[in-house]
Amino acid sequence: MAEIIAKTILVVDDEEVMREFLFEVLEDFTVEKASDGDEAITILKDKRFDLIITDMKMPRVTGEEVVKFVRETHPDSKVIVISGYSSLHSVSSTVGYGIDAFLSKPFTINQLRLEVDKALGGENAPDAVGGQM
Amino acid sequence: MSFFGSIRRFALREKFVLLVSVVTVASMLIISGYLIGRQNKMYHYELEKRGQTLVANLAYNAEYGVILESSSELENLIRGVARADDVVYISVRNADDSVLASIGPELDPEVGEIISDEYDNEQNGLYSRLHYRIFDDREFIELRYPVQTEHMTISKENLGMLSSDFQGNTTMEKIGEVRIGVTLDNLKQEINESENTSILLALLVVLTAIFIMTAFVRVITRPIESLVTLTDKISKGDLTKTVDVRRRDEIGLLAESFNRMIESLKKSQDEVEEYNRTLEEKIIERTRELEEAQHQLIQSEKMAALGQLAAGVAHELNNPLGGILGYAQFTLEKIEKITIDTIADKDLDSYRRYLKDIETQSRRCKTIVQNLLKFSRSSHSVEFEDVNINQVMEETLTFIEHQLMMKQINLVKELTDNVPNIRGNAGQLQQVFTNIILNAMHASEPDSKIEIYTRYMPPLGEFPGAVEISIIDQGHGIKEENLQKVFEPFFTTKEVGKGTGLGLSVSYGIVKEHGGEVKIKSKPGEGTTFTIVFQLEKSHSSADTFNNK
Repeated sequence: MAEIIAKTILVVDDEEVMREFLFEVLEDFTVEKASDGDEAITILKDKRFDLIITDMKMPRVTGEEVVKFVRETHPDSKVIVISGYSSLHSVSSTVGYGIDAFLSKPFTINQLRLEVDKALGGENAPDAVGGQM
Repeated sequence: MSFFGSIRRFALREKFVLLVSVVTVASMLIISGYLIGRQNKMYHYELEKRGQTLVANLAYNAEYGVILESSSELENLIRGVARADDVVYISVRNADDSVLASIGPELDPEVGEIISDEYDNEQNGLYSRLHYRIFDDREFIELRYPVQTEHMTISKENLGMLSSDFQGNTTMEKIGEVRIGVTLDNLKQEINESENTSILLALLVVLTAIFIMTAFVRVITRPIESLVTLTDKISKGDLTKTVDVRRRDEIGLLAESFNRMIESLKKSQDEVEEYNRTLEEKIIERTRELEEAQHQLIQSEKMAALGQLAAGVAHELNNPLGGILGYAQFTLEKIEKITIDTIADKDLDSYRRYLKDIETQSRRCKTIVQNLLKFSRSSHSVEFEDVNINQVMEETLTFIEHQLMMKQINLVKELTDNVPNIRGNAGQLQQVFTNIILNAMHASEPDSKIEIYTRYMPPLGEFPGAVEISIIDQGHGIKEENLQKVFEPFFTTKEVGKGTGLGLSVSYGIVKEHGGEVKIKSKPGEGTTFTIVFQLEKSHSSADTFNNK
C-alpha cells in the first residue's frame, strides 16, 4: 500500500504576509516557515526538505547563503527562489549554485503551483498514489 | 545761540556800518580840521593885515598931533579908528613913552604872558607885533608903529630955500609911537563856532550815514538771512518753500538761482522717492520670486530623491500587493469548488482569514502610499506638529532598505525607544534622512555597513534635553578641506550629471528651520558620520514613548 506522503517544503521569507500566503496556498504540502536566513539554516541543519522556497532580500543572512547551504548539505533538495526584483541581477549569483526555478513577485497562485509541480517532478499531487499497490 | 554766536551772525551789517562810520568820521575830522586850521590862519592874517594898515595909517596921521602934542586932535583921530572891528584900545605916545592920547582900557602886555613877539621886516623893521595873553583866557595882539617925522638937517647954506627944492639930507626921526590893541576874542569865537558847527555836521552826516547804511545793509542781509533760513529748512528735507525776492540786482540773481537749485533738488528728491517706491515693489516681487524658487528647489530635490526611491517604493508595494492578489485569487478558487452543501465552518474560517489578510495588506499599501504623498507634498505649507523621530526614520527606511539590500550594504538600526516627540514637519524630516542615507549609500562599498542610531539626551540643569540622530557609513569619506563646504549649495564631488549638490544644503536648511543642528565628521577612507541634534523645548515634559507599527 502506497503511503500518502506529503512533500516537505521550507518557506523562507522575512515578510510575514508571504510566509502565511505560501503556507495557505501550499496546503497540500507539509510546510514549515522560517523568517530569515539564519533560522532557515538552523532548521536545515537538522532536517531535510523536498523543496525550499526562499526569498532573496533578507537581512543578515541572505537568500543566496541559504541556497548555498542547501546545495552543500542537501544537494537533492529542490530550490525555488522568489524575488521582489524584476531584474535577474540579484538572483544571478544564485543561478550559479543551481536553482530549479525563479519566481518574481508578485506572482499568481497558478504560477507558483506550476513551478512547485515542476520542481517536485510531477509527483506533487497529494492524492496520487505513487508506486504500485 | 551764545552771545558770541549772535554777534558773529550779524557781523555783516555791523561790520559794514562800523566801517563806513569810521571812514566817514575820519574823513570829516580830517577835512574839518584842515579847514578850521586854515580858517584860523586866514583870520589871523586878515586881522594882522588890517591891524598893520590901521596902525601904519594912524601913525602917519598922528604925526602932526604928536609934534604939536595936541591930545584933542589925537583923540579925534584915534576915536575914528577905535570904531574898527576888534580894536580894543589905541594909544599914542610921544618919544618919552608918555601917553598923549588913548582910548580903551590900558592893558599892559608885561602883566600877561607873552606868546610871541615879532618884528616885521616889511616895513623896514618898524612894525612890531606882540601876541600876548592876560587874564588867563583873553588874547590880544598889540600892534605898534612908530610915529615919524622927516628930520631935515639944514645947513647955513640951505636956509631960505623952499622945501620943494631942497635936496638936503632927510632922515626919519621917531617922535612917538602908536599902539593898537586888537582882541582875538572874535576870532576865537568864530573859530569856536566853526568847530562846533563842523562837529555837529560831522555827527549829523555820520548818523545819516549810519541810518542809510543800516537801511541799505538790511537790503542785503535780509535776503541773505532768509536764504540761510531756507537752506536750513532744505537741509532738513523741506523743499517746498522758495525765496521770495523780486529784485534785479545781484541779490535777485542769487535768489533766482537759489530757487532754481531748490527746484532741481525737489525734482531729484521726487525721483529718488519714486525710485525707492518702485525699488521696494521690485524687492517685494523679487523676494517672492526667490521664495518661490527656493520652494521649487526643495521640491525638485525631493523629486530627485523620490526618483531614487522609486525602485524601493515599487518593491515595497509589491509585497502587500502580492499578498492581496494571491489571497484574492486563492479565495476565488476555493469558492468555485464549494457548494452550499459542502461549505464547512472551517472553510468559512479560512475565507475570513484570507479576506482579513487582504484588508490588512490593502491598508499597508495605503500607508505606504500615504507615506509617499507625505514626503512628496509641496513644502509651501510647512506646518509643524508633534513628530516622532523613530517613526519618521522607519518610514524613511522602508523605501531605502531595498536599495541597500541591492548594494549589499548592511543596515544596522538602533532606534532608542524613549525618544520623545519634537515639533517639526514629518515630510521634511523624511527628506533630510533620505538625503543623508542615500549619500551614505552612494559612498559605501558592498559588504560595508551603515549604522543609524537615535538617542535621547534627557534634560540636565539648563540643558532642556535633545534628540540625536546619527548616520554612520564606512564609505570613502570627505576630505578635510571639503568638510565645511558640503552644506554649500551646488557643492558636489560627484561627476557631472550625477547629483546636483543641492541635497545637503536643502537638508541643512530644513534642520535649521527646525531649530536643530547638523554636524559632520569624516576621514577619507574611513567613513562619514552625520549627527543631527534637535534640542527640545524648555517646557518639554518627560519622554513620550511612541511605538511605531
